[in-house]
Amino acid sequence: MTIWLPRWPVQRRLRESPELRYAPLFVCRHEPRGVMRVVAWAWAVPARGESGASRSQPAERGRPAARIVAGMSLAEALAVLAQSDGPRACHRAEIVADDPVGDREGIEEVARWCRRFAPLVAVESAGRPECVHVDVTGTAEFFGGEETLVRTAVWTLQARGIHARAAIADTIGAGWAAARHTDFRPPPAGHPAGHPALPTRHRRCAIVPPADQMTALAHLPAAALRLESDCLARLREVGVDTIGGVGKLPRKSLTSRFGPQLARRLAQCSGTLAEPLETPCGGELPHASQAFDFPLLLRELTQEALGALVQRLVQKCVAPLAAAGKGVTALQVRLESSRSWAGQEGAREACAPTVIDVGLFRPSAAVGHLAELIRLRMARAHLPREISGMVVDVVAVGPVAARQRMLFGEVAEATASQVGLLLDRLSGRLGRSSVFEPKLLADAQPEHAWLAVPPAASGRLSTGGRQGSKMRACALPVGGRFPERRPICLLPRPVRLEAVAVVPDGPPVRFQYEGQTHDIAQARGPERIETAWWRGPCVRRDYYVVDTSAGDRYWLFRRLQDGGWFLHGRFA
Amino acid sequence: MVSSGLPGGEQVRDMLAAQAAQAGGGFTFKGPAQPVLSSGFRALDRLLPAGGVRRGSLLEWLAATEASGAAALACAVACRMAAAQAGGAILVVDRRGLFHPPAVLPWLEEACGGRGEALAGRLVVARPNRDDDELWAIDQALRCAGVAAVLAWPQRVHPTAMRRWQLAAKAGGAVGLLVRPQAAQRESSWAEARVCVWGALGGALEGSGTDSLSLRRLRLALVGGPWLGAGHMEERTADIVLDLTRGRDGALLERDGALRERDGALRSLPPQGAARQEGRAVCRAS
Repeated sequence: MTIWLPRWPVQRRLRESPELRYAPLFVCRHEPRGVMRVVAWAWAVPARGESGASRSQPAERGRPAARIVAGMSLAEALAVLAQSDGPRACHRAEIVADDPVGDREGIEEVARWCRRFAPLVAVESAGRPECVHVDVTGTAEFFGGEETLVRTAVWTLQARGIHARAAIADTIGAGWAAARHTDFRPPPAGHPAGHPALPTRHRRCAIVPPADQMTALAHLPAAALRLESDCLARLREVGVDTIGGVGKLPRKSLTSRFGPQLARRLAQCSGTLAEPLETPCGGELPHASQAFDFPLLLRELTQEALGALVQRLVQKCVAPLAAAGKGVTALQVRLESSRSWAGQEGAREACAPTVIDVGLFRPSAAVGHLAELIRLRMARAHLPREISGMVVDVVAVGPVAARQRMLFGEVAEATASQVGLLLDRLSGRLGRSSVFEPKLLADAQPEHAWLAVPPAASGRLSTGGRQGSKMRACALPVGGRFPERRPICLLPRPVRLEAVAVVPDGPPVRFQYEGQTHDIAQARGPERIETAWWRGPCVRRDYYVVDTSAGDRYWLFRRLQDGGWFLHGRFA
Repeated sequence: MVSSGLPGGEQVRDMLAAQAAQAGGGFTFKGPAQPVLSSGFRALDRLLPAGGVRRGSLLEWLAATEASGAAALACAVACRMAAAQAGGAILVVDRRGLFHPPAVLPWLEEACGGRGEALAGRLVVARPNRDDDELWAIDQALRCAGVAAVLAWPQRVHPTAMRRWQLAAKAGGAVGLLVRPQAAQRESSWAEARVCVWGALGGALEGSGTDSLSLRRLRLALVGGPWLGAGHMEERTADIVLDLTRGRDGALLERDGALRERDGALRSLPPQGAARQEGRAVCRAS
């Protein structure tokens, strides 16, 4: 089974920051000469009257969606967006820096989660993976058949906030092609042969008939064979657009005419060339399980009994790792449950297990610490009513930095270790994206002047951040900035004010905020902040630090486009 | 003349003071005494009951308004606490999501001796989404011995939660810096000191060479804390100047400014022979 997560870089950001769903979101990478290239984009929930560009099909409201494709420059994409949705859409656009490492980590997390469907899972071996392969050989029957399994996979991912499409096929190549083109149906009898079928309806699942995948996929475009653009262009030159058309080409001359990739991909799709799954998640990692003779009601289990069970299973997992000098950086707890069949006494049906993922900032082999993290996550998770078993699966490991302890003089190291344990606990309960370390960036725009990085990754900023800031630039050494001009409290969105300035383009003398009129006794500025046009929505502001007659200090700015005044921060 | 047998007001006060002293001087300072560190502000040290910031205690900063400067002062004290502890971290529990680190990171670098690379892991921000998560995060951070200071903006705090924080701070040794609105003054508290903060105009120092942008004058009043005897019951106030560039006491700048002013006066002397040499000698001596 192949599960496709369309526009995964965007989806990952939307999961981390759901508030971005209401704005056009662009994931861009920096290129030389300051050009920003769109990697992926979406507008998940467009405002009323705007067209919802996340849909690749023409929008339901009768207006065409913006035809923005990956690889466009940001300026070009914004121009297309403005043409289709108006200039206000561009002003609302959010631009996020590309983070391929974070994207891969995220999709590997999804792959680990997919172990509930089958033990053998793998991430697509591509530069920017968007697919997860699951070997469901022999496991589909446990879910009620292939049709049920593929639907279960799609809708359970949807419940986690992940839009997915899935297909089951005999080979990885056929599954990849079918998952990416679930909308495509076989053409009607009168359809001209050799041309790809048009998408007919929205479908998220597909089943490719066994042993007949080339016939079933013949109507799909040739790009479904995972070919590079050069090869596709050469096929287009000879008038071949579909997989069926490729299949009709003489095999002997394929390599000489179109390069080795086409023959290899065709053989992989048809099943004549094996394509092993590359499992990055490590099937050899330890796991421990406990099955009960009969289902246990969780409410009848005391906290101590549940804690002891978790601790025993964690101990089994950690012991072989600790002997090898390794510790756990991520583990998964699965609570197996079942429900009784109506009308049949004693017959029970297995339900989808409840999965609890636990991640750590640094490897740990401390059983008590890991058990506490699991307890914290279980306290916030929606647990089943009864469980029939528990599985603790180590998902990722790392070397534990252990060395001979000294009796005196290790205060700093002990301190760092205790802080690390604290961060694990905090992230276990608050979420990993809610605990971070700020890093200053060389960006004049206050909203993007810092980056939130995971505490463990603070030393390697090049891997990118997770949230807090949207544009990533080179890291600056702390210092050389102007902290006296930056407020302690920065409003996430500037608040529009009614302000009065005596001199046009001069500082304000009075403003109203939260129903109160503030007379300004002293104003310093302006500090002009402008962003370059290729950054997206243009920011042109004149900032003032103002002291009111009551002794309060605020950070106001005038938007140069229209002269409107905004409150952006408080020197709290 | 027949005495009524009832003690007078002064006698009652002396009796209560004696009993308080016999009981250990109040509920706050029992057990092994924690070290008292300087807050970095001389006027604030004089204002606080312990003569500084006691490790393992809570300090409440009651902000008169949302832009009064209480949080800035708490951040400056937190940087000082982090610098005083080897590897000590500052944990900011930011429930409202408004904390802007670029205003504080240079202060931390200044307090830690200007080593930017040594700041890794020294400032960590936690953003809980719920009120109970915020209470729990503050409690956990105060219990951690590796945390030097915890900065938070709790709005509604039950006295039980405050007491739990106080015990957690006492166990872990961290300093809890709680910035709260002035309306919280009516609530009971387990903080060692409650300092009300107002912003004041006129931050610029005469002759210091600094502008009012980089300095902020704050007015402080000790409005609560442990009862230490009759002499401590009256309200105490202090004025401080916060150097927003470095996050430290602006009084140091005042001294530097005075020196610079004298230096400038000497430089303005006519550059003639012996007088100029004498002026330089005086400048070096100063």
